[in-house]
Amino acid sequence: MKTLRLLAVGWYYQFKMISRSPFEGIGQVIYPLFFATVAFFIFRASESPRTLLYASLGAAVMGMWSATSTTAGNAMQRERWHGTLESLVATPPHFGLVLLPITLAMSTIGIYCLVATLALGRFVFGIDLTVEHPLLFALAIVGSVASFGSLGFLFAVSFVRFRAAWALGNLFEYPVWLIGGFLVPLVLLPPWVRPISWVLAPTWGMSAIREAALGGSPLPDLLLCLGLGGVYIGLGLAMLERVLSAARKRGALSLS
Amino acid sequence: MISLRIFAIGGLMSYRALFYWLTFWIFVPGLVVAPVFQILLFAYIGRSAQLQSDEFYVVGNAIQYAAIPALFAMSQLVAGEKFQNTLGAILVSPAPRLPLFFGRAVPVVANSVFVAAFALTAGSLILGIDIPASSIPALGLVIVVAATSCTGLGLINAALGLRIRENAVLSNAIFGFLLIFTGANIPLSELPEWMQAVSNVIPFTHSIEAARELADGQSLSSVIDLVGAELLIASVYLAAGFLLLRFFEAQGRRHATLERS
Amino acid sequence: MPVVEAQDLHRTYRTSTGTLRRKWMDVEAVRGVTFGIERGELFGLLGPNGAGKTTTIKMLITLLLPTSGTARVLGYDVVDDPREVRKRIGYVFGGERGVYERLSGYDNLRYFAELYGVPPKEIRPRIESLLELVGLKGREQERTEGYSRGMKQRLHIARGLLHDPPVVFLDEPTIGLDPIGARELRATIASLADAGKTILLTTHYMFEADALCDRIAVITRGEIVAQGTPGDLKRTVGAGTVVEVEVFGMPEGIVERVRDLEGVTSVSIEEREQAQMLIVQTPTDVELTHTILGTLNGANVGRISRREPTLEDAYVALVSGE
Repeated sequence: MKTLRLLAVGWYYQFKMISRSPFEGIGQVIYPLFFATVAFFIFRASESPRTLLYASLGAAVMGMWSATSTTAGNAMQRERWHGTLESLVATPPHFGLVLLPITLAMSTIGIYCLVATLALGRFVFGIDLTVEHPLLFALAIVGSVASFGSLGFLFAVSFVRFRAAWALGNLFEYPVWLIGGFLVPLVLLPPWVRPISWVLAPTWGMSAIREAALGGSPLPDLLLCLGLGGVYIGLGLAMLERVLSAARKRGALSLS
Repeated sequence: MISLRIFAIGGLMSYRALFYWLTFWIFVPGLVVAPVFQILLFAYIGRSAQLQSDEFYVVGNAIQYAAIPALFAMSQLVAGEKFQNTLGAILVSPAPRLPLFFGRAVPVVANSVFVAAFALTAGSLILGIDIPASSIPALGLVIVVAATSCTGLGLINAALGLRIRENAVLSNAIFGFLLIFTGANIPLSELPEWMQAVSNVIPFTHSIEAARELADGQSLSSVIDLVGAELLIASVYLAAGFLLLRFFEAQGRRHATLERS
Repeated sequence: MPVVEAQDLHRTYRTSTGTLRRKWMDVEAVRGVTFGIERGELFGLLGPNGAGKTTTIKMLITLLLPTSGTARVLGYDVVDDPREVRKRIGYVFGGERGVYERLSGYDNLRYFAELYGVPPKEIRPRIESLLELVGLKGREQERTEGYSRGMKQRLHIARGLLHDPPVVFLDEPTIGLDPIGARELRATIASLADAGKTILLTTHYMFEADALCDRIAVITRGEIVAQGTPGDLKRTVGAGTVVEVEVFGMPEGIVERVRDLEGVTSVSIEEREQAQMLIVQTPTDVELTHTILGTLNGANVGRISRREPTLEDAYVALVSGE
């Protein structure tokens, strides 16, 4: 209970901060919209409403992923810049409980991206979004945000040694767009790529959102998505111990 | 002669000085891996939508991606000098402006050329696209002109970066804008008329069209008017960028905004 | 049993120079620091910049692992039981950064209150009373990016006290503050000591350590060169004289030449507005004024005075390694 409250309060204040920054807030939303626009133009030529809806949802989740991939890897570095990393490490809770809300807050910005993309599709390209199972749709979105944030947590822990952590995070933007089944159905990809897609939570989050919107059965996909999120958190926590004690040994917690 | 030295040494030195952080881990993902993935992404989207050929997307994205060094490297150069408070010192020096600033432009153009050429080669190899060997020199020329043109845009962006705080957002927006308007991924005929009008006056549009023709086996002479158009755009943007940079510096000197406070 | 114990702490850093051909160097920042702080004591770690104060304090608050040696806070080892240590200490450091600028002062405190496990019912009243204590009441809803340096410092203190820790570590808390702000902060620190908290304060201001601390350890170049009450330290230089010579344009090599004179305990130079002061400490019975003036042959000399040594002189002598 205490743990949940810690995660919630941490998430709340980090999200508040990120929302208040033009660079981290609006900047995150605008960039993927350009790619969404290209996607809309490309799929508009096909003229099938189902395809357009598919494209709309795909582009929307691309935006959601972008919000996480371009920021989460840099989470610890960001705290270092604020001068708050040391203060955070010096608190009693396990640092994982402090870091996870940060990456979750970053991926929550993805909801802005989702809404902006769907709005772009609706008001500029006339794509009507009808959702068959609204409640499951909402659930799928929340679940995706949570698991994207978990993957972001794993990034944050893995990239902490690199001064250019932000560059590494960006490295994962395009590949996940390509193999996550957002705008490219998995069947079109070479067979050896598919197993990689399957261990990525975004693939299942996308599938769940799509199923909920188009009237399929999103629950199995959603559960798989959340399950993978749990795995990422576990891996991240395991690495975090080693990462932090190495940082304490090297004296790398402050900005110097 | 002195101008030439300032041009060469000044440009190279500032490029090195400000890119000491450009380690392997930034260089490789951003300039080598990412463009290849962008190409693959759009090629597969194209296959999903069953529209253009792979070659269409490879050429378009390879050239469009050259905008990244043009925008970001140039911004870093100019903004970095402000950050390190060297810009003020440079402006006070009696060195002539023109060679100084073009000395900065050349390494950036070279960087862009490399990125586009590499992306085009890698993308073609991976997706199995045949580009006739006879077209390669002409393609090289087109890429150089395109890179020069976009470096002009990069200069404009860098100048604006002297005045606005979050320059990275603007650079990203310009990149996205080029993605849509240059015909890199959307045939110009698919765009509404007002957008086509814009396409005609921005970097890359003509080069991409020329490069596609060359990749199809056309000769240089058949695309020479496109190359000429791109050259014209290059001169205009470079001149505009240079003037804008001088204007903002003069302003910066007046309002004491040149140094990082 | 001491509340805070440091036993022969060592800390070495590895740094590198150059990018193409890296040269690695080992820098020993802390070389064998030993001290103990009793319950309710206000203990000062005094030394110039780069002496190893911050490194020492960071080892004690579990942010840095010692290269060797041990330290315990309230009986818990800082290396083996960092969580237990963190629950019981507050950490306050000076400087502009370290708060979330886009959040209000209140939000900053609320966030950290959660991290420190303050029971939910007590959070609001605790924050209110802390804001009162540090004098930020009324400004807590503003974003901290608008706070002055002094206000940020006070917010740091409030944050360090959220969980009412029995031990508080203050790392140069008054640095960069204006005199009035610094004075108020010192008063607050003194009141914390009065309330029974055990405090470790690092500073390079002699008078601050003298005014606030029950005991002081003087640290320079990674080692403690003196330890005791302010009275003890004053007594070490109680015997002796200080000669001050005002010089307009100090010639080169003066410090070395005067130091070589027989009977000189320590030499230092202080910048004043128009001139420099050559300050020489000698034992009481030694008369060196003429000899010192002799070494200043040719220089433009102003006032000369002799006086009793102060704690400041003791500090300078200790720290300049004579």
